[in-house]
Amino acid sequence: MKARIEAELPFYFGPGKELFGFYHPAAAVTGTAVLLCPPFGVEQIRCHRLYRQLAHSLAESGLPVLRFDYFGTGDSAGDSHAFEWPRCLADVATAAAELRLRHGGGRLLAFGARLGANAALAAAQTARLDGVVAWDAITDGAALVRQYDSMEASLKVDLNRFEVARPDLDVSTQWPGFETSERLRSQLLELRLLDPGIASAWLTSSSPDEASRLGEPYASRQVGVDVAPRWDDVNGLELAILSHPLLEAARRHLKEMA
Amino acid sequence: MHEQAFRFGAARHLVGVVGLPPVIEHGVGMILLNAGMVYRVGPFRLHVELARRLNSLGYSTLRFDQSTIGDSGASGQRLSRPEQVLADVRDAMELLKQQSGCTRFVLFGLCSGAQNAHSTAYVDQRVAGAFFLDGYGHRTLGQRVRHYLPRLLSLSVWRQRFARRRTPVAARPAEPAFEVEPLPPKIVRAQLAEMLHRGLKLDFIYSGGVARYFNHVRQFRECFGRLADHPCVSVSYFKEADHTYVLSGDRQRLLDHVAQWMGHHFPITRTGSSA
Repeated sequence: MKARIEAELPFYFGPGKELFGFYHPAAAVTGTAVLLCPPFGVEQIRCHRLYRQLAHSLAESGLPVLRFDYFGTGDSAGDSHAFEWPRCLADVATAAAELRLRHGGGRLLAFGARLGANAALAAAQTARLDGVVAWDAITDGAALVRQYDSMEASLKVDLNRFEVARPDLDVSTQWPGFETSERLRSQLLELRLLDPGIASAWLTSSSPDEASRLGEPYASRQVGVDVAPRWDDVNGLELAILSHPLLEAARRHLKEMA
Repeated sequence: MHEQAFRFGAARHLVGVVGLPPVIEHGVGMILLNAGMVYRVGPFRLHVELARRLNSLGYSTLRFDQSTIGDSGASGQRLSRPEQVLADVRDAMELLKQQSGCTRFVLFGLCSGAQNAHSTAYVDQRVAGAFFLDGYGHRTLGQRVRHYLPRLLSLSVWRQRFARRRTPVAARPAEPAFEVEPLPPKIVRAQLAEMLHRGLKLDFIYSGGVARYFNHVRQFRECFGRLADHPCVSVSYFKEADHTYVLSGDRQRLLDHVAQWMGHHFPITRTGSSA
Protein backbone atom coordinates (compact mmCIF):
# COMPACT_ATOMS: atom_id res chain seq x y z
CA MET A 1 0.00 0.00 0.00
CA LYS A 2 2.74 2.45 1.06
CA ALA A 3 4.83 1.68 -2.04
CA ARG A 4 1.80 2.20 -4.27
CA ILE A 5 1.00 5.57 -2.70
CA GLU A 6 4.65 6.61 -3.12
CA ALA A 7 4.36 5.80 -6.82
CA GLU A 8 1.44 8.22 -7.20
CA LEU A 9 2.79 11.34 -8.82
CA PRO A 10 1.64 14.95 -8.85
CA PHE A 11 2.79 16.81 -11.96
CA TYR A 12 1.95 19.52 -14.48
CA PHE A 13 1.14 18.60 -18.07
CA GLY A 14 -0.36 19.81 -21.33
CA PRO A 15 0.68 22.75 -23.52
CA GLY A 16 2.68 25.17 -21.40
CA LYS A 17 2.35 22.68 -18.52
CA GLU A 18 -0.72 24.58 -17.32
CA LEU A 19 -2.74 21.66 -16.00
CA PHE A 20 -2.19 19.97 -12.65
CA GLY A 21 -2.56 16.20 -12.59
CA PHE A 22 -2.18 13.31 -10.19
CA TYR A 23 -1.44 9.91 -11.68
CA HIS A 24 -2.31 6.74 -9.77
CA PRO A 25 -0.57 3.82 -11.51
CA ALA A 26 -1.81 0.25 -11.30
CA ALA A 27 -0.63 -3.12 -12.51
CA ALA A 28 -2.26 -3.47 -15.94
CA VAL A 29 -5.05 -6.00 -15.44
CA THR A 30 -7.59 -5.07 -18.08
CA GLY A 31 -5.76 -2.52 -20.24
CA THR A 32 -8.33 0.08 -19.21
CA ALA A 33 -7.65 3.37 -17.41
CA VAL A 34 -9.95 5.92 -15.79
CA LEU A 35 -9.99 9.71 -16.06
CA LEU A 36 -11.62 11.53 -13.14
CA CYS A 37 -13.20 14.81 -14.26
CA PRO A 38 -13.83 17.13 -11.32
CA PRO A 39 -16.85 19.34 -10.80
CA PHE A 40 -16.53 23.13 -10.84
CA GLY A 41 -16.00 25.81 -8.20
CA VAL A 42 -16.71 25.05 -4.59
CA GLU A 43 -17.98 21.60 -5.59
CA GLN A 44 -14.46 20.73 -6.79
CA ILE A 45 -12.99 21.47 -3.36
CA ARG A 46 -15.81 19.65 -1.57
CA CYS A 47 -15.24 16.54 -3.74
CA HIS A 48 -11.43 16.50 -3.54
CA ARG A 49 -11.19 13.83 -0.86
CA LEU A 50 -13.85 11.68 -2.51
CA TYR A 51 -11.97 11.78 -5.82
CA ARG A 52 -8.75 10.79 -4.08
CA GLN A 53 -10.46 7.86 -2.38
CA LEU A 54 -12.03 6.75 -5.66
CA ALA A 55 -8.63 6.96 -7.39
CA HIS A 56 -7.05 4.77 -4.68
CA SER A 57 -9.87 2.27 -4.87
CA LEU A 58 -9.71 2.01 -8.67
CA ALA A 59 -5.91 1.74 -8.72
CA GLU A 60 -6.08 -1.01 -6.11
CA SER A 61 -8.45 -2.93 -8.34
CA GLY A 62 -6.14 -2.66 -11.34
CA LEU A 63 -7.33 0.49 -13.10
CA PRO A 64 -4.75 3.31 -13.52
CA VAL A 65 -6.27 6.71 -12.80
CA LEU A 66 -5.56 10.33 -13.66
CA ARG A 67 -7.10 13.11 -11.58
CA PHE A 68 -6.65 16.64 -12.88
CA ASP A 69 -7.75 20.27 -12.51
CA TYR A 70 -9.18 22.34 -15.37
CA PHE A 71 -7.50 25.62 -16.29
CA GLY A 72 -8.51 28.23 -13.69
CA THR A 73 -9.29 25.65 -10.99
CA GLY A 74 -7.43 23.81 -8.22
CA ASP A 75 -3.66 23.84 -8.68
CA SER A 76 -3.82 24.43 -12.44
CA ALA A 77 -2.72 27.72 -13.95
CA GLY A 78 -5.19 30.54 -14.50
CA ASP A 79 -7.34 32.78 -12.34
CA SER A 80 -10.67 31.41 -11.18
CA HIS A 81 -12.62 33.80 -13.41
CA ALA A 82 -10.75 32.40 -16.42
CA PHE A 83 -12.64 29.09 -16.18
CA GLU A 84 -14.69 28.61 -19.36
CA TRP A 85 -16.64 25.71 -20.80
CA PRO A 86 -14.86 25.32 -24.20
CA ARG A 87 -11.47 25.33 -22.45
CA CYS A 88 -12.81 22.86 -19.92
CA LEU A 89 -13.72 20.42 -22.73
CA ALA A 90 -10.32 20.92 -24.34
CA ASP A 91 -8.70 20.13 -20.97
CA VAL A 92 -10.61 16.83 -20.78
CA ALA A 93 -9.15 15.86 -24.16
CA THR A 94 -5.65 16.95 -23.08
CA ALA A 95 -5.94 14.95 -19.86
CA ALA A 96 -7.20 11.89 -21.73
CA ALA A 97 -4.18 12.07 -24.06
CA GLU A 98 -1.87 12.37 -21.05
CA LEU A 99 -3.45 9.34 -19.39
CA ARG A 100 -3.06 7.28 -22.59
CA LEU A 101 0.56 8.29 -22.75
CA ARG A 102 1.21 7.23 -19.16
CA HIS A 103 -0.61 3.92 -19.08
CA GLY A 104 0.27 2.89 -22.60
CA GLY A 105 -2.96 3.08 -24.57
CA GLY A 106 -6.03 0.88 -24.32
CA ARG A 107 -9.56 1.69 -23.30
CA LEU A 108 -10.37 4.88 -21.45
CA LEU A 109 -13.31 5.45 -19.13
CA ALA A 110 -14.27 8.60 -17.27
CA PHE A 111 -16.07 9.47 -14.06
CA GLY A 112 -17.47 12.91 -13.38
CA ALA A 113 -19.60 14.64 -10.79
CA ARG A 114 -21.91 17.51 -11.75
CA LEU A 115 -20.27 19.64 -14.48
CA GLY A 116 -17.43 17.12 -14.47
CA ALA A 117 -19.90 14.55 -15.79
CA ASN A 118 -21.12 16.97 -18.46
CA ALA A 119 -17.54 17.73 -19.46
CA ALA A 120 -16.71 14.04 -19.86
CA LEU A 121 -19.89 13.39 -21.85
CA ALA A 122 -19.45 16.43 -24.09
CA ALA A 123 -15.77 15.70 -24.74
CA ALA A 124 -16.24 11.93 -25.09
CA GLN A 125 -15.65 11.95 -28.84
CA THR A 126 -12.60 14.20 -28.95
CA ALA A 127 -11.12 12.52 -25.88
CA ARG A 128 -11.92 9.09 -27.37
CA LEU A 129 -13.62 7.85 -24.23
CA ASP A 130 -15.14 4.37 -24.19
CA GLY A 131 -17.56 4.91 -21.32
CA VAL A 132 -18.67 7.48 -18.75
CA VAL A 133 -20.03 7.14 -15.23
CA ALA A 134 -21.91 10.34 -14.38
CA TRP A 135 -22.96 11.43 -10.90
CA ASP A 136 -25.63 14.12 -10.61
CA ALA A 137 -24.85 15.38 -14.11
CA ILE A 138 -26.34 18.79 -14.89
CA THR A 139 -29.48 18.30 -16.96
CA ASP A 140 -30.53 21.95 -17.04
CA GLY A 141 -27.83 24.61 -17.31
CA ALA A 142 -30.30 27.45 -16.73
CA ALA A 143 -31.39 25.80 -13.47
CA LEU A 144 -27.75 25.57 -12.40
CA VAL A 145 -27.20 29.28 -13.11
CA ARG A 146 -30.36 30.09 -11.11
CA GLN A 147 -29.11 27.89 -8.30
CA TYR A 148 -25.70 29.57 -8.10
CA ASP A 149 -27.36 33.04 -8.23
CA SER A 150 -29.78 32.05 -5.50
CA MET A 151 -26.99 30.67 -3.30
CA GLU A 152 -25.01 33.88 -3.74
CA ALA A 153 -28.09 35.93 -2.82
CA SER A 154 -28.54 33.84 0.35
CA LEU A 155 -24.85 34.05 1.13
CA LYS A 156 -24.67 37.83 1.27
CA VAL A 157 -27.36 38.02 3.98
CA ASP A 158 -26.18 34.97 5.93
CA LEU A 159 -25.69 36.34 9.45
CA ASN A 160 -24.28 33.00 10.58
CA ARG A 161 -21.36 33.85 8.30
CA PHE A 162 -21.13 37.66 8.25
CA GLU A 163 -21.48 40.16 11.07
CA VAL A 164 -23.57 42.37 8.80
CA ALA A 165 -25.27 41.66 5.46
CA ARG A 166 -23.09 42.46 2.46
CA PRO A 167 -24.13 44.89 -0.29
CA ASP A 168 -24.95 43.64 -3.81
CA LEU A 169 -21.75 45.19 -5.12
CA ASP A 170 -19.66 42.75 -3.05
CA VAL A 171 -21.25 39.68 -4.62
CA SER A 172 -22.44 40.80 -8.06
CA THR A 173 -19.80 38.99 -10.13
CA GLN A 174 -19.57 35.87 -8.04
CA TRP A 175 -20.96 32.43 -7.50
CA PRO A 176 -20.37 30.83 -4.12
CA GLY A 177 -16.69 31.20 -3.36
CA PHE A 178 -15.49 32.21 -6.83
CA GLU A 179 -15.43 35.03 -9.35
CA THR A 180 -17.36 34.25 -12.47
CA SER A 181 -17.72 35.84 -15.90
CA GLU A 182 -20.56 36.74 -18.23
CA ARG A 183 -19.08 34.36 -20.77
CA LEU A 184 -19.29 31.38 -18.41
CA ARG A 185 -22.83 32.35 -17.41
CA SER A 186 -23.89 32.37 -21.08
CA GLN A 187 -22.14 29.09 -21.75
CA LEU A 188 -23.82 27.37 -18.81
CA LEU A 189 -27.25 28.78 -19.68
CA GLU A 190 -27.00 26.87 -22.96
CA LEU A 191 -25.83 23.67 -21.31
CA ARG A 192 -27.86 20.51 -21.97
CA LEU A 193 -27.10 16.90 -21.26
CA LEU A 194 -25.56 15.13 -24.25
CA ASP A 195 -25.93 11.43 -24.80
CA PRO A 196 -22.43 10.41 -25.88
CA GLY A 197 -23.63 7.27 -27.63
CA ILE A 198 -21.18 5.18 -25.65
CA ALA A 199 -21.50 3.06 -22.50
CA SER A 200 -22.81 5.21 -19.69
CA ALA A 201 -24.13 4.91 -16.15
CA TRP A 202 -26.17 7.59 -14.38
CA LEU A 203 -25.76 7.83 -10.63
CA THR A 204 -28.15 10.13 -8.81
CA SER A 205 -28.14 11.29 -5.21
CA SER A 206 -31.08 10.46 -3.01
CA SER A 207 -32.47 14.00 -3.26
CA PRO A 208 -31.16 15.57 -6.50
CA ASP A 209 -31.40 19.34 -6.94
CA GLU A 210 -33.37 20.98 -9.75
CA ALA A 211 -30.27 21.31 -11.95
CA SER A 212 -29.50 17.58 -11.95
CA ARG A 213 -32.96 16.01 -12.09
CA LEU A 214 -32.86 13.34 -14.78
CA GLY A 215 -35.66 13.28 -17.33
CA GLU A 216 -36.25 10.83 -20.16
CA PRO A 217 -34.47 9.04 -21.76
CA TYR A 218 -32.07 8.88 -18.80
CA ALA A 219 -34.54 8.57 -15.93
CA SER A 220 -35.21 4.91 -16.58
CA ARG A 221 -31.46 4.20 -16.53
CA GLN A 222 -30.61 6.11 -13.35
CA VAL A 223 -29.08 4.37 -10.36
CA GLY A 224 -30.01 5.88 -7.02
CA VAL A 225 -27.20 6.23 -4.47
CA ASP A 226 -27.71 6.89 -0.78
CA VAL A 227 -25.78 10.17 -0.60
CA ALA A 228 -26.97 13.71 0.17
CA PRO A 229 -24.31 16.16 -1.08
CA ARG A 230 -26.52 19.25 -0.56
CA TRP A 231 -25.25 20.90 -3.75
CA ASP A 232 -27.66 23.82 -3.33
CA ASP A 233 -27.15 24.40 0.40
CA VAL A 234 -25.22 27.56 1.18
CA ASN A 235 -24.48 26.19 4.66
CA GLY A 236 -22.52 23.33 3.12
CA LEU A 237 -19.87 25.29 1.21
CA GLU A 238 -17.06 24.19 3.51
CA LEU A 239 -18.26 20.61 3.99
CA ALA A 240 -16.31 17.85 2.30
CA ILE A 241 -18.44 15.21 0.59
CA LEU A 242 -17.53 11.72 1.72
CA SER A 243 -19.68 8.75 0.77
CA HIS A 244 -18.90 5.06 0.85
CA PRO A 245 -22.06 4.14 -1.14
CA LEU A 246 -21.06 6.59 -3.88
CA LEU A 247 -17.52 5.22 -4.04
CA GLU A 248 -18.83 1.68 -4.23
CA ALA A 249 -21.36 2.50 -6.96
CA ALA A 250 -18.82 4.40 -9.07
CA ARG A 251 -16.21 1.68 -8.72
CA ARG A 252 -18.68 -1.09 -9.54
CA HIS A 253 -19.92 0.58 -12.73
CA LEU A 254 -16.43 1.46 -13.90
CA LYS A 255 -15.25 -2.10 -13.29
CA GLU A 256 -18.23 -3.44 -15.24
CA MET A 257 -17.41 -1.14 -18.17
CA ALA A 258 -13.73 -2.09 -18.06
CA MET B 1 5.97 32.52 -12.19
CA HIS B 2 6.82 28.85 -12.27
CA GLU B 3 5.04 26.10 -10.33
CA GLN B 4 6.17 22.54 -9.80
CA ALA B 5 4.45 19.71 -7.93
CA PHE B 6 6.36 17.50 -5.52
CA ARG B 7 6.02 14.38 -3.46
CA PHE B 8 8.42 14.88 -0.57
CA GLY B 9 9.08 14.36 3.12
CA ALA B 10 10.96 11.85 5.23
CA ALA B 11 8.58 9.10 4.09
CA ARG B 12 7.72 10.72 0.73
CA HIS B 13 4.24 11.01 2.15
CA LEU B 14 3.70 14.74 1.56
CA VAL B 15 2.39 16.49 -1.54
CA GLY B 16 2.88 20.15 -2.35
CA VAL B 17 3.35 22.78 -5.03
CA VAL B 18 6.41 25.05 -5.07
CA GLY B 19 5.95 28.43 -6.70
CA LEU B 20 9.02 30.37 -7.79
CA PRO B 21 9.33 33.99 -8.93
CA PRO B 22 10.76 34.79 -12.38
CA VAL B 23 14.08 35.61 -10.70
CA ILE B 24 14.81 33.21 -7.87
CA GLU B 25 15.36 35.05 -4.61
CA HIS B 26 17.56 33.68 -1.86
CA GLY B 27 15.93 35.18 1.16
CA VAL B 28 12.62 34.44 2.77
CA GLY B 29 10.01 32.06 1.41
CA MET B 30 6.44 31.51 2.49
CA ILE B 31 4.92 28.19 3.52
CA LEU B 32 1.14 27.92 3.49
CA LEU B 33 -0.34 25.46 5.98
CA ASN B 34 -3.67 23.65 5.66
CA ALA B 35 -6.69 25.59 6.90
CA GLY B 36 -8.50 22.91 8.87
CA MET B 37 -9.17 19.93 6.62
CA VAL B 38 -9.23 21.97 3.39
CA TYR B 39 -6.60 20.68 1.00
CA ARG B 40 -3.60 22.78 -0.06
CA VAL B 41 -5.44 25.10 -2.49
CA GLY B 42 -7.03 26.71 0.57
CA PRO B 43 -10.60 27.84 1.16
CA PHE B 44 -12.02 28.95 -2.20
CA ARG B 45 -8.47 28.74 -3.64
CA LEU B 46 -7.13 31.40 -1.27
CA HIS B 47 -3.70 29.73 -1.00
CA VAL B 48 -3.29 29.48 -4.78
CA GLU B 49 -4.12 33.16 -5.23
CA LEU B 50 -1.83 34.21 -2.38
CA ALA B 51 1.09 32.05 -3.51
CA ARG B 52 0.89 33.43 -7.05
CA ARG B 53 0.64 37.02 -5.85
CA LEU B 54 3.78 36.54 -3.74
CA ASN B 55 5.59 34.78 -6.60
CA SER B 56 4.86 37.78 -8.82
CA LEU B 57 6.43 40.02 -6.15
CA GLY B 58 9.60 37.95 -5.93
CA TYR B 59 8.94 35.52 -3.06
CA SER B 60 9.13 31.73 -3.27
CA THR B 61 6.21 29.76 -1.87
CA LEU B 62 5.16 26.24 -0.97
CA ARG B 63 1.56 25.21 -0.42
CA PHE B 64 1.32 21.64 0.79
CA ASP B 65 -0.83 19.08 2.53
CA GLN B 66 0.20 17.98 5.99
CA SER B 67 0.14 14.26 6.86
CA THR B 68 -3.24 12.61 6.22
CA ILE B 69 -4.80 15.83 4.85
CA GLY B 70 -5.58 16.40 1.17
CA ASP B 71 -3.26 14.33 -1.04
CA SER B 72 -0.71 13.55 1.67
CA GLY B 73 -0.51 10.17 3.33
CA ALA B 74 0.55 9.07 6.79
CA SER B 75 4.24 9.21 7.61
CA GLY B 76 4.29 5.81 9.25
CA GLN B 77 6.23 7.32 12.14
CA ARG B 78 4.97 7.01 15.69
CA LEU B 79 4.59 10.69 16.42
CA SER B 80 1.95 12.66 18.26
CA ARG B 81 -0.08 15.05 16.09
CA PRO B 82 1.89 18.15 17.23
CA GLU B 83 5.18 16.30 16.61
CA GLN B 84 3.95 15.21 13.18
CA VAL B 85 2.91 18.78 12.28
CA LEU B 86 6.38 20.02 13.22
CA ALA B 87 8.07 17.24 11.26
CA ASP B 88 5.89 17.99 8.20
CA VAL B 89 6.59 21.73 8.26
CA ARG B 90 10.32 21.00 8.65
CA ASP B 91 10.15 18.72 5.60
CA ALA B 92 8.37 21.55 3.78
CA MET B 93 11.09 24.05 4.75
CA GLU B 94 13.73 21.64 3.51
CA LEU B 95 11.98 21.25 0.14
CA LEU B 96 11.56 24.99 -0.36
CA LYS B 97 15.19 25.51 0.59
CA GLN B 98 16.30 22.94 -2.00
CA GLN B 99 14.15 24.49 -4.71
CA SER B 100 14.65 28.19 -4.03
CA GLY B 101 17.66 28.59 -1.80
CA CYS B 102 15.54 30.20 0.94
CA THR B 103 16.89 29.67 4.41
CA ARG B 104 14.27 31.57 6.39
CA PHE B 105 10.53 31.19 6.21
CA VAL B 106 7.27 32.96 6.92
CA LEU B 107 4.36 30.69 7.85
CA PHE B 108 0.78 31.43 6.83
CA GLY B 109 -1.98 29.66 8.74
CA LEU B 110 -5.72 30.10 9.05
CA CYS B 111 -7.75 28.50 11.84
CA SER B 112 -5.97 25.25 12.86
CA GLY B 113 -3.26 26.39 10.43
CA ALA B 114 -2.65 29.36 12.73
CA GLN B 115 -2.20 27.03 15.69
CA ASN B 116 0.22 24.89 13.68
CA ALA B 117 2.11 28.00 12.53
CA HIS B 118 2.34 29.12 16.16
CA SER B 119 3.68 25.80 17.46
CA THR B 120 6.26 25.58 14.65
CA ALA B 121 7.35 29.22 14.90
CA TYR B 122 7.91 28.74 18.63
CA VAL B 123 10.45 25.94 18.23
CA ASP B 124 12.10 26.31 14.83
CA GLN B 125 14.82 28.92 14.43
CA ARG B 126 14.36 29.13 10.65
CA VAL B 127 10.93 30.74 11.03
CA ALA B 128 11.33 34.49 10.55
CA GLY B 129 7.69 35.50 10.65
CA ALA B 130 4.13 34.27 10.70
CA PHE B 131 0.59 35.19 9.75
CA PHE B 132 -1.95 33.94 12.26
CA LEU B 133 -5.47 34.18 10.80
CA ASP B 134 -8.25 33.65 13.32
CA GLY B 135 -5.68 32.11 15.59
CA TYR B 136 -5.20 32.46 19.32
CA GLY B 137 -7.30 34.92 21.26
CA HIS B 138 -9.86 34.57 23.98
CA ARG B 139 -13.08 36.21 25.12
CA THR B 140 -12.56 39.22 27.37
CA LEU B 141 -14.80 41.54 29.35
CA GLY B 142 -14.49 44.09 26.54
CA GLN B 143 -15.48 41.49 23.94
CA ARG B 144 -18.62 40.62 25.93
CA VAL B 145 -19.55 44.28 26.38
CA ARG B 146 -19.08 44.97 22.66
CA HIS B 147 -21.09 41.88 21.80
CA TYR B 148 -24.01 42.16 24.23
CA LEU B 149 -24.45 45.89 24.87
CA PRO B 150 -25.60 46.84 21.36
CA ARG B 151 -27.98 43.90 21.42
CA LEU B 152 -29.46 44.94 24.76
CA LEU B 153 -30.09 48.44 23.42
CA SER B 154 -31.39 47.36 20.02
CA LEU B 155 -35.16 47.46 19.55
CA SER B 156 -34.99 45.17 16.54
CA VAL B 157 -33.10 42.50 18.49
CA TRP B 158 -35.81 42.51 21.19
CA ARG B 159 -38.50 42.33 18.49
CA GLN B 160 -36.76 39.35 16.91
CA ARG B 161 -36.46 37.67 20.29
CA PHE B 162 -40.17 38.00 20.99
CA ALA B 163 -41.01 36.86 17.47
CA ARG B 164 -38.78 33.84 17.91
CA ARG B 165 -40.60 32.92 21.09
CA ARG B 166 -43.83 32.81 19.13
CA THR B 167 -42.39 30.95 16.13
CA PRO B 168 -39.21 29.10 16.99
CA VAL B 169 -36.58 29.45 14.25
CA ALA B 170 -34.58 26.35 13.42
CA ALA B 171 -30.96 26.93 14.34
CA ARG B 172 -28.30 25.83 11.88
CA PRO B 173 -27.54 22.18 12.73
CA ALA B 174 -24.17 21.62 14.32
CA GLU B 175 -21.76 20.16 11.78
CA PRO B 176 -19.13 17.64 12.78
CA ALA B 177 -15.86 19.48 13.31
CA PHE B 178 -12.28 18.54 14.03
CA GLU B 179 -11.10 20.91 16.68
CA VAL B 180 -7.92 21.13 18.66
CA GLU B 181 -8.03 22.24 22.25
CA PRO B 182 -6.29 25.63 22.32
CA LEU B 183 -3.34 26.40 24.55
CA PRO B 184 -4.08 28.33 27.77
CA PRO B 185 -3.75 32.12 27.24
CA LYS B 186 -0.85 32.40 29.70
CA ILE B 187 1.21 29.88 27.72
CA VAL B 188 0.31 31.51 24.39
CA ARG B 189 1.44 34.90 25.75
CA ALA B 190 4.75 33.48 27.01
CA GLN B 191 5.44 31.70 23.73
CA LEU B 192 4.65 34.81 21.68
CA ALA B 193 6.99 36.83 23.90
CA GLU B 194 9.73 34.27 23.27
CA MET B 195 9.17 34.45 19.48
CA LEU B 196 9.38 38.24 19.55
CA HIS B 197 12.54 38.03 21.64
CA ARG B 198 14.05 35.95 18.84
CA GLY B 199 13.14 38.69 16.36
CA LEU B 200 10.17 37.11 14.62
CA LYS B 201 7.69 39.37 12.83
CA LEU B 202 4.12 38.41 13.68
CA ASP B 203 0.89 39.44 12.00
CA PHE B 204 -2.42 38.63 13.68
CA ILE B 205 -5.50 38.85 11.46
CA TYR B 206 -8.98 38.25 12.83
CA SER B 207 -12.16 38.10 10.75
CA GLY B 208 -15.75 38.95 11.58
CA GLY B 209 -16.35 35.19 11.35
CA VAL B 210 -14.87 34.68 14.80
CA ALA B 211 -16.71 37.54 16.54
CA ARG B 212 -17.89 34.96 19.06
CA TYR B 213 -14.42 35.20 20.64
CA PHE B 214 -12.74 38.23 19.00
CA ASN B 215 -14.60 41.36 17.87
CA HIS B 216 -12.30 44.39 17.91
CA VAL B 217 -8.69 45.16 17.09
CA ARG B 218 -8.31 46.53 20.66
CA GLN B 219 -9.06 43.07 22.00
CA PHE B 220 -5.54 41.90 21.18
CA ARG B 221 -4.29 44.17 23.97
CA GLU B 222 -7.00 42.85 26.28
CA CYS B 223 -5.74 39.32 25.54
CA PHE B 224 -1.98 39.79 25.36
CA GLY B 225 -1.27 43.05 27.19
CA ARG B 226 1.97 44.85 26.31
CA LEU B 227 2.81 42.48 23.48
CA ALA B 228 0.43 44.66 21.47
CA ASP B 229 3.00 47.50 21.65
CA HIS B 230 5.88 45.44 20.29
CA PRO B 231 7.16 46.90 16.99
CA CYS B 232 7.20 43.43 15.40
CA VAL B 233 3.53 42.79 16.14
CA SER B 234 0.72 43.95 13.90
CA VAL B 235 -2.95 43.25 14.43
CA SER B 236 -5.87 43.63 12.02
CA TYR B 237 -9.57 43.00 12.35
CA PHE B 238 -11.38 42.38 9.05
CA LYS B 239 -14.84 42.89 10.44
CA GLU B 240 -16.71 42.47 7.15
CA ALA B 241 -15.01 39.20 6.17
CA ASP B 242 -16.14 35.73 7.17
CA HIS B 243 -13.87 33.03 8.57
CA THR B 244 -13.05 31.42 5.19
CA TYR B 245 -13.02 34.57 3.01
CA VAL B 246 -15.77 33.32 0.73
CA LEU B 247 -16.06 36.65 -1.14
CA SER B 248 -13.36 37.37 -3.69
CA GLY B 249 -13.22 41.06 -2.68
CA ASP B 250 -12.38 40.04 0.89
CA ARG B 251 -9.70 37.67 -0.39
CA GLN B 252 -8.21 40.46 -2.49
CA ARG B 253 -8.08 42.79 0.54
CA LEU B 254 -6.38 40.02 2.52
CA LEU B 255 -3.88 39.43 -0.30
CA ASP B 256 -3.15 43.17 -0.49
CA HIS B 257 -2.55 43.22 3.25
CA VAL B 258 -0.20 40.21 3.16
CA ALA B 259 1.74 41.62 0.20
CA GLN B 260 2.14 44.98 1.93
CA TRP B 261 3.24 43.36 5.21
CA MET B 262 5.79 41.18 3.42
CA GLY B 263 7.15 44.18 1.55
CA HIS B 264 7.51 46.09 4.81
CA HIS B 265 9.17 43.37 6.88
CA PHE B 266 10.96 41.34 4.21
CA PRO B 267 11.57 43.71 1.29
CA ILE B 268 13.00 42.35 -1.93
CA THR B 269 16.20 44.25 -2.63
CA ARG B 270 17.45 45.31 -6.04
CA THR B 271 20.24 42.74 -5.89
CA GLY B 272 17.65 40.01 -5.88
CA SER B 273 17.57 39.04 -2.23
CA SER B 274 15.21 39.94 0.57
CA ALA B 275 16.57 41.68 3.63
